[in-house]
Amino acid sequence: METLGYLMDGFGVALQPHNLMFALLGAFLGTLIGALPGLGPANGVAILIPLAFSLGLAPETALIMLTSVYAGAMYGGRISSILLNIPGDEPAMMTCLDGYPMAQKGKASEALAISAVASFVGSLIATIGLILLAPLLANFALTFGPAEYFALFLLAFATLGGITGKNPIKTVVAACIGLMIATVGIDNTGVPRYTFGVLELFEGVDFIIAIVGLFAISELLFFIEERAGGGKEKMQVNRLSLSWKDIRDILPTSFRGGVLGFVAGVLPGAGASLGSFISYTLEKRVLGKKGYFGQGDPRGVAAPEAGNNAASSGALVPMLTLGVPGSGTTAVLLALLISLNITPGPLMFTQNADIVWGVIAALLIGNFLLLVLNIPLVGIFVKLLSVPPMYLLPIVTMVAFVGIYSISNTIFDLYFMVAFGVGGYVLRKLEIPLVPVILGLLLGPEMEKNLRHAMDISDGDWMILWDSGLAIGLWVFAALGLILPYIVGPILRRRMKAPTEGTPESD
Amino acid sequence: MTFNDRIFGVLMIVLAVAYGWAATQFPEPFGGAEAVGPDTFPKLLAIVLALSSLYLIVRPDPDNAWPWSRTGIELIIAVGVLLLYAMLLQPLGFIISTTLAVGTLCWRMGAPPVNAYITGAVSGVVVYFLFSFALDLALPLGLLSFLEVN
Repeated sequence: METLGYLMDGFGVALQPHNLMFALLGAFLGTLIGALPGLGPANGVAILIPLAFSLGLAPETALIMLTSVYAGAMYGGRISSILLNIPGDEPAMMTCLDGYPMAQKGKASEALAISAVASFVGSLIATIGLILLAPLLANFALTFGPAEYFALFLLAFATLGGITGKNPIKTVVAACIGLMIATVGIDNTGVPRYTFGVLELFEGVDFIIAIVGLFAISELLFFIEERAGGGKEKMQVNRLSLSWKDIRDILPTSFRGGVLGFVAGVLPGAGASLGSFISYTLEKRVLGKKGYFGQGDPRGVAAPEAGNNAASSGALVPMLTLGVPGSGTTAVLLALLISLNITPGPLMFTQNADIVWGVIAALLIGNFLLLVLNIPLVGIFVKLLSVPPMYLLPIVTMVAFVGIYSISNTIFDLYFMVAFGVGGYVLRKLEIPLVPVILGLLLGPEMEKNLRHAMDISDGDWMILWDSGLAIGLWVFAALGLILPYIVGPILRRRMKAPTEGTPESD
Repeated sequence: MTFNDRIFGVLMIVLAVAYGWAATQFPEPFGGAEAVGPDTFPKLLAIVLALSSLYLIVRPDPDNAWPWSRTGIELIIAVGVLLLYAMLLQPLGFIISTTLAVGTLCWRMGAPPVNAYITGAVSGVVVYFLFSFALDLALPLGLLSFLEVN
């Protein structure tokens, strides 16, 4: 019942008026970010981080705002899936299958409302799961030594591509690039590494600059290349007529989707895309002939939406308890934690209990806010969706510039950001994933520190890295994370591809 | 065609070798040699990167097409605009440089020039006032600094 006490304290933090205000702002911005073309959740959160700094927000407020953005982005992703048959991000892909047919039948607002309710149920289940599971996992993680942590970091990289990933070796290459960039600067022993005598490099590369460059600038370049500036046709939304019965009908579906999604979110290597895929396929199995999936069945909208929202909340579990994010967006949230000088991991639950529980409580509150925001305000979001990217993306780029400039007021950082953007574009062209690069940047220093500690304990004996049962287990899972995609990856990918054709690039 | 991954793999091996070699040149830390010195972790990375790049060279994925011709020029223009934006942010001031940069980007992405530059100007002014008054952060005024009121 200790947990309950902490949670109450958390509500005390989250319900303070200014925190509540920023949660609302975050939820609104998040939905917008999720809905707008060319602004994925990771991208959106990344651009907002420098702004949270320049606002001079308290750590818990900044975190509450950006977690609300994160939750909101998952809600927003469904709007373009349903109305335009274009998923805002990869997990929203499955929502297209029944959401778009519903919209074509003139039931767009019902589909939107149902998906909002399902998202709410999914997130709620996952947040409760997070509340129950996180303290247990944090306690367990206290038994980790440096060797186990080193293995855990490897596991995080190995599973980042997910078992549906295409080419795990490219994940390894990407992780190496990120880790290499992280070694630039003066190291723990006081030796400058790879600085080439440039003063700006002595403090290392600021990962926020790297993240914003890699995501925001490369996205702009991709849009220019695809000449996708024109935007999409406008979609009419009918008046909402939803009865209680309609909502009651989708509740069991949402519940099942939520539980599955949460599990997929917590497990390394699964992630939100797989969460929504599993939820949808299972629902199809369970209902069998009773459903009319693919032709606008409301349950076909509810299942993947509950699944992907639950998975995204579930993904917060490893990020908060172990300091090891499993997805692009949670990696960006980790960047925020590190730059606020909060060391994520098991100790955070004792040392920064108010922040952790404040964020968890904010997640619960954010969910209610999002539900309330989403049903009446859907019209506004739909209007904003028709802003063509040719106006939107330059403005987003400008906001990224202002954000980075306002951190340090130096032009050097802006050049650096553009360079990262061009680099990100080239890597994406080569299908080298960007998320491992970012994770490498974030985890590099910690990883090296743990390696050093482990070696100090063992007096230079490398065997310590796989000396305990736990460490061996982590190594085995890491190896599986790299090998499995070659075996089951092609099968799963084909299954996921089969019902949807042509999915846009996403993290 | 499988040139992309092969060329990238070769470049990455060059990087790995250069990076690993540089690690051997680090001066010994002040406290004397340790089990894990400043060079250990970089050397590990160099080895892993070299091996995985070798794999890319041996088993490359099919290429994505690079945008040559006009689209390529548009991309170069965009990068040029971004670099100029960074360069001119302080001398010209935020509002003017934003009008030019956002305007040019919108225009090159297909908006009519007049709409494009109006978008640029409006977004520049709005963000400037948002930052100076609501967030209390100073963005450079540059050429417009005669408008400054204290």
